[in-house]
Amino acid sequence: MAGLLECHALSKNFDAVAAVVDVNLEVTEGSVHSIIGPNGAGKTTFFNLISGEVPPTAGRVYFKGRDITGLPSHQIPHVGIARCFQRTNIFPKLTVFENVWVAMFSRSNSGALDFIKRVSDFGEIGDKTREIISELGLEEKLTERAETLSHGQQRALEVAIALAGAPTLILLDEPTQGLAPEATQQMTQLIQRLAGRYTILLIEHKMHVVMAISHWISVMHFGQIIAEGGPDEIRQNEAVQKAYLGGRR
Amino acid sequence: MRDRNIFLIVLAFVVIGPFVQPKVIITEMLIFGIVAVANNIMIGYTGMLSFGQAMFFGIGAYVAGLLLKAGMPLIVALPVGTLFVLVLSIAVGYFCVQRTGLYFICITFAFNQMFYFIAYSWTGLTGGEDGLPGIPRPSLLLDPVAFYVFVAVVFLACLVAMKRIVDSPLGLICQTIRENPSRAAAVGYNVKLYKLTAFTIASTFTGLAGTVYAMLYGIVPIDQIHWLKSGDFIFMTLLGGTGNFFGPIMGAVGYIWMSETFSLYWARWPLIMGIVFVVVVLYLRGGIVELIGKVYGSIQRAREAP
Amino acid sequence: MSFLILSQILNGFATGMLYALVGVGLTLVLGVLNLPNFAHGTLFAFGAYFTYTVANLTDSFYLGVLIGPLLVVLIGFVIESQGVRRLYAAHHDYQLLFLFAIALILQETVILIWGPVGFSLLPPKFLAGAVDLGFTVYPKYRLALILFTATIVVALYLMLTRTNVGAILRAGIENREMVKVLGININKVFLFTFGLGAYLAGLAGGLATPIWGLTPTMGFDILPISFVIVVVAGLGSILGAIAAGILIGLAQSLTTIWWPEAANVVIYLIMGLTIILRPQGLFGSR
Repeated sequence: MAGLLECHALSKNFDAVAAVVDVNLEVTEGSVHSIIGPNGAGKTTFFNLISGEVPPTAGRVYFKGRDITGLPSHQIPHVGIARCFQRTNIFPKLTVFENVWVAMFSRSNSGALDFIKRVSDFGEIGDKTREIISELGLEEKLTERAETLSHGQQRALEVAIALAGAPTLILLDEPTQGLAPEATQQMTQLIQRLAGRYTILLIEHKMHVVMAISHWISVMHFGQIIAEGGPDEIRQNEAVQKAYLGGRR
Repeated sequence: MRDRNIFLIVLAFVVIGPFVQPKVIITEMLIFGIVAVANNIMIGYTGMLSFGQAMFFGIGAYVAGLLLKAGMPLIVALPVGTLFVLVLSIAVGYFCVQRTGLYFICITFAFNQMFYFIAYSWTGLTGGEDGLPGIPRPSLLLDPVAFYVFVAVVFLACLVAMKRIVDSPLGLICQTIRENPSRAAAVGYNVKLYKLTAFTIASTFTGLAGTVYAMLYGIVPIDQIHWLKSGDFIFMTLLGGTGNFFGPIMGAVGYIWMSETFSLYWARWPLIMGIVFVVVVLYLRGGIVELIGKVYGSIQRAREAP
Repeated sequence: MSFLILSQILNGFATGMLYALVGVGLTLVLGVLNLPNFAHGTLFAFGAYFTYTVANLTDSFYLGVLIGPLLVVLIGFVIESQGVRRLYAAHHDYQLLFLFAIALILQETVILIWGPVGFSLLPPKFLAGAVDLGFTVYPKYRLALILFTATIVVALYLMLTRTNVGAILRAGIENREMVKVLGININKVFLFTFGLGAYLAGLAGGLATPIWGLTPTMGFDILPISFVIVVVAGLGSILGAIAAGILIGLAQSLTTIWWPEAANVVIYLIMGLTIILRPQGLFGSR
């Protein structure tokens, strides 16, 4: 069985520091696949290797069977991978509508002719943009500047920007970070709603979230994958408990 | 609809201006208004500060001036001059957008001075230090009123074109690059390419303004390509205010008015301009646009108060 | 011909060392304060004019070179403490416009004080005349200049790499937050750096007077060159600024032999090549 996303012996060294070591990972289409591990385990760096933010030192990344290793970050959305960042990463002075619209336009513009139209002339993109914004519960904030939103709303906007790119795979880097319990629950439900439609690769620290929504979990420690399995397997895995769960509970 | 109102005010200025002030001064205001608005496509919309826009203004002026002197008609000289700047700005911009921030400023600045030195040394072509004199105006535009109408039409056309550009998806993409370049890349935009596009558009309009300038006094003084002029362009843009598409026009008007006024009284007038720059930086960072907003706001509040 | 080339190489070194001083000064301010100091050129001009005035008043070129640049430091202190310091939180665009305005003001002040006509200043008697080097007869002052500036540059480099002050400045270039965390008064560091940058510009201006003379526009002329040095060097690299200064001085004076008109353009050619071949600059890390 070939995975939607496959990483073969992926490594990244920063000077003498090995951040990601020889990672082999396969993401099955349609699944919610979580990567857990202590802070500094190399999870975000691993995402950066997939999304082209930094080039890997060694190894390859395949998406839908195509080698996408080292593709610049601006081409990654066009193969069908969208990313949400750990730190809220939006366009603060633009409106919520513009934030999402611009991500949608990136994937759906049909060439140079689109650039002589006005933003307001794109009926279909505008409609779809409003649709996504409503789905994430931000419809009342449509014309507000993104910087005026609450933290939770900004995280939702972040997801909206990712969805606007019509991705097959979404990389979510700690979507519930800094969220209050109630907002965390909303985000968890949102991910569950998205789970059927998209393949999701998720970095998450909150174990109850991970255990509730994941089909498959990979545990990362010092840049290596030390265990893989379903939620129950991982819960009982000794190495995981030692490296991660044990240390925290 | 607010944009339309501002556009009507600009239109009123263009029509009434020459009855209140000498035509040449209003003409200069319009020419540099194009430059300041174009500059704002980079500064305000894309968040790139070029310290080299005088090179494109000057080169546009030189090329158009030389063509007019060679007997070419207006319909050839202006488009060729503008096209020349377009191609050149792609080449220069390619180097500049490789780096960001301070580096970008340093590189644009250095390129400006390179073209200044070329103009300075190539006396056979450009007249060097003495400038390029004797540029004829086409017979149709010899009459001052006709020339003013011509400049006004070019100005308004440029304004409409640039407004259309910033209202297009490109304008929004430029703003995403200003706000968060790495995120703009992560939603699928080639940041360097769009920066180069913004650079080229701004520079081409600046060059177009230069081609018109060549006919204003019939001479291209070498100052018009000096880096000091690039600094003046930045000042015009910031003085007007970068937060609004039309703001920089006020900056250009204010700058020309001040320099014309001060230079009448004192040969060392750039010193006063320097002091005005300092005052603007320390006390008026949003530019005239913000000042108007504040005044308007306080009038409103005064009205509402019982 | 080879004599000409050799003496032009020496000339290139003399010019290059002056460029290195100016370039290091700009690099320090750019690196530590994160500011493109557009007033750097006019500080260079003030250094020259102060040196000229002090030398005439005291009848000693040496006193001129000693005191002149220190007066420039005072100007630097005023610019930093009264203006730049209020703008650290402001957008880059405004910092740049402020320094551009200071450049205009200082430039006009030079003309107000010393008039629009240039001067020349003779080197001290001991360094007047020329010396026979075997392959060419060469002005003594330029030889002394090369030796003296080389000493200054080495001393500066040692200060920056071997002393505590230098360590703080280099830390400031690498990571400004770290300096704050270490509990160092960042305002003092900035003031000192701006002063040191002003001193180096002023010193270069003073030392240049016997070779280049004094013209009111000398500050505006050297400013683009110092920015080219920074680009070629790599942003914030001290060693790079020294190397780039010398490289550009040499390139300029060698071009003069074959195509004098291009001497001012060749430095931009070097910059263009650097951007293509090594965009981070000769000594830049990123």
